[in-house]
Amino acid sequence: MRLSLTYQGIPIWRHSRILSWTAQIVSGILVVAAVAFFLSNVSSAMVQRDIPFGFSFLNREYSTPISEHLLPYEESDTFAYAFLVAATNTLMVSVVGVILATMLGIIVGAVQLSGNWVISKVATVYVEVFRNVPLLVQLIFWYILLLGLPPVREGIILFNAIYLNNNAGLSFPWPEGQQRPGLWLLCVVLAIALGIVTKMLLERREERTGRPSCPWLGAIGVVIAGSFVAWLVWVAIGDAPYVMSVPEPAGRFGHPVGGYTISIELTALLVGLIIYTAAFIAEIVRGGLQSVSRGQGEASRSLGLGTMQTLRFVTFPQALRVIVPPMISQYLNLTKNSSLALAIGYADLTSVAKTMTQTAPAVTIFLIIMGIYLLYSLTYSLIGNLYNRHIQFTGG
Amino acid sequence: MATVEAWQPAPSLPPPRTETGWIGWAKANLFGNWLSGLVTVVTVPIILWAVWSMVSWLVGPADWTVITSRPQQYAIGLYPTEHAWRPLIGWLLVSILFGMAAAMWGGAARRIAIGYGVVTVLLGVLPYGMFHEGVVMPWWVRAFILGNLLTLGIGYLLGSNAKTARPRNFVLGGIAIYVLLLLILNGIPGVPGMEEVAPRKWGGLMLNLILAVSGIFFAFPIGILLALGRRSSLPVVKVLCVVFIEVFRGVPLITLLFMSQVLVPLALPANFPVDSVTRAAIVITLFSAAYTAENIRGGLQGLHPGQAEAARALGLPGWQVTMLIQLPQAIRNVIPAIVGQFIALFKDTSLVYIVGMLDILEMGRSIVQGNVQFTDNGRENLIFVAVVFWLFTYTMSYASRRVERRLGVGRR
Repeated sequence: MRLSLTYQGIPIWRHSRILSWTAQIVSGILVVAAVAFFLSNVSSAMVQRDIPFGFSFLNREYSTPISEHLLPYEESDTFAYAFLVAATNTLMVSVVGVILATMLGIIVGAVQLSGNWVISKVATVYVEVFRNVPLLVQLIFWYILLLGLPPVREGIILFNAIYLNNNAGLSFPWPEGQQRPGLWLLCVVLAIALGIVTKMLLERREERTGRPSCPWLGAIGVVIAGSFVAWLVWVAIGDAPYVMSVPEPAGRFGHPVGGYTISIELTALLVGLIIYTAAFIAEIVRGGLQSVSRGQGEASRSLGLGTMQTLRFVTFPQALRVIVPPMISQYLNLTKNSSLALAIGYADLTSVAKTMTQTAPAVTIFLIIMGIYLLYSLTYSLIGNLYNRHIQFTGG
Repeated sequence: MATVEAWQPAPSLPPPRTETGWIGWAKANLFGNWLSGLVTVVTVPIILWAVWSMVSWLVGPADWTVITSRPQQYAIGLYPTEHAWRPLIGWLLVSILFGMAAAMWGGAARRIAIGYGVVTVLLGVLPYGMFHEGVVMPWWVRAFILGNLLTLGIGYLLGSNAKTARPRNFVLGGIAIYVLLLLILNGIPGVPGMEEVAPRKWGGLMLNLILAVSGIFFAFPIGILLALGRRSSLPVVKVLCVVFIEVFRGVPLITLLFMSQVLVPLALPANFPVDSVTRAAIVITLFSAAYTAENIRGGLQGLHPGQAEAARALGLPGWQVTMLIQLPQAIRNVIPAIVGQFIALFKDTSLVYIVGMLDILEMGRSIVQGNVQFTDNGRENLIFVAVVFWLFTYTMSYASRRVERRLGVGRR
């Protein structure tokens, strides 16, 4: 009786729900107040100093050249389209860089674990050197190294087909569309679809009968055979859909004609990004392979699986779970690091934006490119996380 | 009665010569199977050739006068020459910390301090100019540099004395030296000889180090707060932290630095001027804090929930569960990731050229571009800058590996 009389409940200032609500409301108000304060400062400063703001410039003509572009671009195009061109350039650097850096990184990481002392030490030195030096230093280094090359005819020439020099950049053979290349590509897409169906069918057969049916081999075979048959049809009708175009120096300055040519700025950017990122990827791959306990491999060997089978069915799937999440963040880093193109003058998103600020409101421009980078980052994360969920151990 | 002799095994033969010593080592590591042997035979000549051509370039055609004639600018940028003694005093103070750490923790800290001392001596005695070509470095600069050995020794004594050798003293001393250093570099108004040198005149390696240390200093607590906020059960706090972290992690540092130049001056009141170095430092710190927050969050997620439950069952209030139980374990588990982040932060300080600062990289570039006699020495300059960065980052990762081993990460 007495107890119930003296008991007064939790004092109001210690009630967890009230405390948490107070904290939220206070922090919310603080943030809103800070944002409002900054925004009012910005707007008053803009009015005072007559700084332009807004998105109306997007429909204006950009009328500034973009030195290198994947999409067709004229100086009479609008700012909005110039953003698209620059964003495509960044996307191209990011995709090419990611693919090549992954390949190089996996090779280096595997070599680090190889039993051969010489190459494993070389791989370790590679990783320790390129991981620990700022990317900007490396990019500028590659750039001045390429700038120091002689012109086309005296430059580096490989197999009479790949030219690396200081005036044209890097030229290499590239397929050139001849007769209805689009239609042929459509046939290839169809063949790939057919290949996927074949893979599913063979997998089902394998599960049902227990006989090895090599679904991957079958699928790839269908794709190659389909594309090849279509190619033959094209040749029978008249011309091949594509011919390999090999660059060749022409004219007084020897600027290569044919093939595909990228500038030294882009070459230096790609080389720097790939070598830098591959050093990190190699460490991730090495750590992932080492994280699979040795017993796993031994058990699989004792069950009679061969070396390649052990790697494919036992070690690699388990290592992949450790490898994928940090790998995604390396891909994000590569994409963001491509903004250092500004320092060596390749027309990526950031350097085009920097040039734009001379004729258009800077604040808006940087907000737009931050938005585009965020979009890229979120897309990579999304794809990566979906794949990551697909390979994680589900206990099944 | 015949004595039965105990059977004695014959002394075991030595292992075959081909399996021990350098022959055995080579057999196992260079010619393990035919593929490995082939790789060795092919790669060794290539490596020897590459090393030979590099070394012969380094000692032959390479011209290092671009560096030896301007060490002052690489070290402190355009910091006024008549005040050059101030960074040197700051360096003397920092050496105390190295000495103290060597005495208190031994092992890796001692080895780093020894390397530091060796580099200091080399810098003090090697022949090179100081201000411009042909100008001999004054004796007092060399005296200051060699004086670091003295302060290193003082630090060692402080670290050996049981009264002063406490981690808390080390941290407090570090903070005091950090503040004092900034004060000395910036100048104290009214004190003769300590005229103000605005931060935009700071440069060279000194600027990289100051930005990195300031970034580490402030990014760590901010990162912890953000990580806790992101895990908080309060939706408003959580959303704010998530948005902050994802925005800062999703865009390149360059664009943030640009923003710090165009937007931040507008956002601050007109009578509240912040110079561009401070703005850059703030942006670098926030950028780094967002990454640190994700690392710490990873550590918190990796903790077994039983830890927090047990602490609560023992009656600890919420903040003590976080501060005394969860955070110490989480931080210990993610030390490698955090050190990796700090190495990245140090490397990122080379981006401040965006805001017009002359850090060691940009200083070197402007020396090469601004002097006709050095236009062909861009490579030498960059190799030197790369080696300087590498020395610092490699030392950090070495220290982190040792700390990791000491704390037994991954072995419990």
